[in-house]
Amino acid sequence: MINNPIIFYIASVLIIGFALIALFAKDVIRSLLAAVMVFFAGALFFYILGSEYNAIIQAAIYGLAVPVIIGLSIMFCQHGGKYRGGKYRGGKDSEDKDSDNEGLLKKSNGKGFAVPYITLLCAGIFILAFVYLVMMSLVMMPDTFHIMEIPQMTPFDNVLSFARGIFIDYVWAFELVSLLLTIVIAGLSMFDGRKNV
Amino acid sequence: MYSYLFIGLLLFLIGLLGSVLLKNVIKVLISIEFMILGVNINFVTFAAFCDNIEFNGFIAALFYVGLGAVELAVALYIFYLMYKKKESDNIEKYTDL
Repeated sequence: MINNPIIFYIASVLIIGFALIALFAKDVIRSLLAAVMVFFAGALFFYILGSEYNAIIQAAIYGLAVPVIIGLSIMFCQHGGKYRGGKYRGGKDSEDKDSDNEGLLKKSNGKGFAVPYITLLCAGIFILAFVYLVMMSLVMMPDTFHIMEIPQMTPFDNVLSFARGIFIDYVWAFELVSLLLTIVIAGLSMFDGRKNV
Repeated sequence: MYSYLFIGLLLFLIGLLGSVLLKNVIKVLISIEFMILGVNINFVTFAAFCDNIEFNGFIAALFYVGLGAVELAVALYIFYLMYKKKESDNIEKYTDL
């Protein structure tokens, strides 16, 4: 476990900032790229918390595999559309711009009435997080970073706990998740073979 | 410990905000993944600080990563099938199956 506040602050700013960028980016590709950064920042969190295995799984599945799936679905869903100027055009989506813009609730005249409230909410969350982090760094940091009992574990303990958890304590849950993955693969293949979908 | 939990809570709230307010289906799915990531951060935090022997939170986070990937694959395929019918990624048009 890495007990360094600077790394924690950097990872926190990365994960929250890119999460907001992913939500409020104007086109889906930028949103996806920001989401990739969020997933890698999550892997960094797992690493500094001492769970290297979770960090590797997070980076491999969410950082690499899931964006490929989402990117492929974006590519498949462009029927004759062109990627021009950061926005999708073509098909029926070129007419309803609201689906690809901010995506917030809109009035009939096109102006988003929810935007000021959401901006205020996000600003409040940011201010709350900033105040909390400043207070924690000034006053409460000894309690959270130094006084608490830090777990001392070696890499062998980490791997041993994973092996014991997956193959002994939670072996049925592990097998059920494996079965679920197999069912999903078989089900998607069957769906793909259907003609009248 | 509380700082990590707070970051997980913030990420969960951001995902909740996005999944409720956004209209683009893919952005909604990404927001749901943010919520799962926030929950996983809380699992790992509790395991690292409160469970020094068995690390059950690590295992739970591992399962949730797998389940999140499965959920995303199924949801994206359903979205693809719906997109072929509706030709739009606006979630308000997906009112019927």
